[in-house]
Amino acid sequence: MSTAPIACRARNLSVAYRAEPVLRGVNFSVPLGSVMGIVGPNGAGKSTLIKAMLGLVTPLTGTVDFSGRPLDQVRRRIGYMPQSTSVDWDFPTTVIDLVTMGTYGELGWIRRPGKAERARAMAALEQTGIPNLAARQIGELSGGQRQRAFLARALAQAPDLYFMDEPFQGIDAKSQQAMVDVLQDLRARGKTIVMVLHHLATVRDYCDHVTLLNVSVVASGPADEAFTKENIRTAYEARDGAEAFLATAV
Amino acid sequence: MDLIEFFGNHTFRMVFLGTSVIGLVAGALGSFAYLRRQSLISDVVAHSALPGALLAFLTAVVVLGVNGRNMLGLIVGAVATGTLSALFANAIAARTKIRIDTAMAISLTFFFGAGMLLLRVISDGSFPGKGGIDDYLFGNASVITIADLVTSTAVGALALLLMLVFWKEFTLRTFDPVLSTVLGFRAGLIDTLMFTTIVIAIVIGVKAVGVVLMIAFVVTPPAAARQWTRTLPGMVALSGVFGGIGSGFGAYLSIMLGNVPSGPVIVLVLFAIFLISLLASPRRSVITTALHRARAREALRRALLAEGTDR
Repeated sequence: MSTAPIACRARNLSVAYRAEPVLRGVNFSVPLGSVMGIVGPNGAGKSTLIKAMLGLVTPLTGTVDFSGRPLDQVRRRIGYMPQSTSVDWDFPTTVIDLVTMGTYGELGWIRRPGKAERARAMAALEQTGIPNLAARQIGELSGGQRQRAFLARALAQAPDLYFMDEPFQGIDAKSQQAMVDVLQDLRARGKTIVMVLHHLATVRDYCDHVTLLNVSVVASGPADEAFTKENIRTAYEARDGAEAFLATAV
Repeated sequence: MDLIEFFGNHTFRMVFLGTSVIGLVAGALGSFAYLRRQSLISDVVAHSALPGALLAFLTAVVVLGVNGRNMLGLIVGAVATGTLSALFANAIAARTKIRIDTAMAISLTFFFGAGMLLLRVISDGSFPGKGGIDDYLFGNASVITIADLVTSTAVGALALLLMLVFWKEFTLRTFDPVLSTVLGFRAGLIDTLMFTTIVIAIVIGVKAVGVVLMIAFVVTPPAAARQWTRTLPGMVALSGVFGGIGSGFGAYLSIMLGNVPSGPVIVLVLFAIFLISLLASPRRSVITTALHRARAREALRRALLAEGTDR
């Protein structure tokens, strides 16, 4: 294990829906400034892991800390990009309003977003390459544009630590490139990124650290050490998709 | 009867103003119920307000010995049983395998049935001021007093004020509840505030509109307003305007048509607004949407056929 400072750490984290364990005794840590991919088969608990770390589901056992501090002390420094399917895209709002929502946490209760918040939202849209869509109704966006708007909203939060749930889902090549550029920029500025990834083939392109998950942690650490054929096979229990991937890659 | 004559009449003025205020408040606040998909739970609240309104009547007459029809007592009673019923339905759905639609139907019918029973008890008994108590079912705007109008306007304004103060929190919680929680806003607090505003929007209409039709005031204007608007402030404002004007016009019509109850006429007017909105809105009209889709499909079919012959 590396000795770099730790951005966040889960200790013995278990989550159960009703009486079924979804996560079992998960231990892993994310080094400061790393890009950590969370990878595993369907139902491995990838999204649940992120939700448990962000306090969205209550763990049955275990703790999460952020550089030694509890979540409530560091909320302002954490950005979250949920799956784009998690919201109603027919909601009557524009892209700039959606991105401005990222600034709401810093504003706190009752205070309204003003010029400064709008400017930050606009800057975030420029970073993701869609400032021209600012006045659009969100329902008019393509899949890739939705993801870029969501990424812009996370950027508007101006956090040090990002959690992203399948950021590349349903995305076109152009949007993917725009997002990769943003991620590289974030990494260059020393931000830490934790993202759930569905496609094994893309893991190496984006991540320097990997956690292979299947209810428990199969392996976690620098990509070279953790993302091995053996570990992938264990995590996926030799499912077809993984076999096909293993035949061509790594 | 011309307009001057209409507004010169005290009762007519009360009917017009009373229903307009109810329509405006319910329409504006109903937008959040619409966007959170809480239309049906709003109907549970409305129907279940009946026993509360009647218990408030009994308490006022039997225990306190005062006028049983005062608006504030009615609102308190209606809020109590309406909220209880909604909480009961949610608790069943959360703790058992019974689905929310079933739980809501069970809760609604139980509270409404209890209300019907109370209605019988009151009309069979000798309570002062019991005449016309069954107006709580379908409403009777012509019995609205100035005190009623003042009370419902004040309570309605309070609910609108809550919405404006917590606009940012309501919006974020409605659109993306998960992000709202991640950013540190307490979900339970926002939900309670939002639910309070919606319940207020419903119960201020019990006397004039009745528990059976009140849901139309909460649900129909937002559904119509969504057809024309692209932003939430626009939708809430237009929905309030639809509700207010539709109710005022419906009340006017009901008086012009003679002895017709105002509630049902208003519901028909709101439905007409909804229908026009479905057909004629520039971006979301069912007609233009269907035409666009048919044209796009035809173009695609031709392109595919052309591709086929090229090969």
